[in-house]
Amino acid sequence: MAYHVHLDNFEGPLDLLLYFIQRDKIDIYDIPIAHITAEYLGYLEVMEALNLSVAGEFILLAATLMRIKARMLLPRSRPADDPLIEDPRRELVQQLVEYRRFKAASEALGELAERRGARYPVGKDGASATNGASPADYLQDVSLFALMTVVREVLSKLPSRDPVVLRTEPVRLDDSIRKIRSTLASARQITLRELFVAAQQVQEVVVLFLAVLELARRGLLVFRQAAVFGEVTLQSAGEK
Amino acid sequence: MDEELLQITEALLTATPEPLTQVKFNQSLERDDVRLSDVVAALKLLFKEQQRPVDIMPLAGGYQLVTRAEYQPYLRRLLRRAGPLSLSRAALETLAVVAYRQPVTRAELDQVRGVKCESVLRTLLEKTLVTVKGRDEGIGRPLLYGTTKEFLQAFGLNNLGDLPRLREVEEIMGAEPPPPLVDHAAE
Repeated sequence: MAYHVHLDNFEGPLDLLLYFIQRDKIDIYDIPIAHITAEYLGYLEVMEALNLSVAGEFILLAATLMRIKARMLLPRSRPADDPLIEDPRRELVQQLVEYRRFKAASEALGELAERRGARYPVGKDGASATNGASPADYLQDVSLFALMTVVREVLSKLPSRDPVVLRTEPVRLDDSIRKIRSTLASARQITLRELFVAAQQVQEVVVLFLAVLELARRGLLVFRQAAVFGEVTLQSAGEK
Repeated sequence: MDEELLQITEALLTATPEPLTQVKFNQSLERDDVRLSDVVAALKLLFKEQQRPVDIMPLAGGYQLVTRAEYQPYLRRLLRRAGPLSLSRAALETLAVVAYRQPVTRAELDQVRGVKCESVLRTLLEKTLVTVKGRDEGIGRPLLYGTTKEFLQAFGLNNLGDLPRLREVEEIMGAEPPPPLVDHAAE
């Protein structure tokens, strides 16, 4: 049974990069792309292992990172300090810097709201303005990526196991036909519903039903139905 | 300042939780030769002298009578509320981009945050912190979003000019100085 976790308001891919940059004290204007890309892809794997639906944006940034990495690896036709060669990281860096600026702004806004909240309007019914605490309030200081770091550690310590392969016995049409005929020989008649009682898998049900149709086609079996919407009964064709 | 005028103004401020504007003030007084800001300044001084637990703050183009911040612990215990608004981090971020970039399209929000902002934006619209301000002239004429009067009230701002400047924000948050990236395109 798989769990499908969907987090609304999920922290985005830029958040993840900023998290690495902050954690590893990386200079945002000189990002070690190979290192960051490896880290980033590692986290995507964990997210997938956890069945967190990895949003398209994460994949997109992964592609961007790999493209930048590839471009950094390409031999340059001009000397490295040639100003005409643009740093492949440039666009990403600008996006990150801008995003970080707005993140800081949102923190400043949060502080404003807090300061504002400390001053209660006179004449306003405070109780009516009550907001239900949302789950996000309880998790305010924990970033999702911090949680994932822990999970990643735990996962890496687990002993690896070869996957267990479950084999299913193929159900054969011939076997099912034989089974129905022998059932009918001893019981004379059986309802269609009873026939399926013993079936364990979808495949079995399907093949049994095919066997019933095949027997009817060959004229070895007849259906009877006593009333409209009543039980369907199977009999050998010879019997009355 | 006229003693009676001070008392009338205090009464108006006390009875109206919505910010009192000059227009509403004029309506109430049935005259338009008194500047509300002057009366408010005098009242503020009076409150201070009398060590009253209330103060008047400029808010969304008007004035609101509020309790002083030091009484928050008592009021919070009494009223049992977490805060005037509870927004997720994602919502606050999106709101910040709207506030500083307005009028702004959803595509721009998505681009800045690197994430689809649709559901967060809906929350902000529901909380009336953000509203549709019009349509962009660009392809598809996408909706343009901006902040509301409720936004100013919720964040204790008089107008959008009161928003912390982005550069200052960076300094407060201890971020590095602006990029040493050379604009090669300009060369």
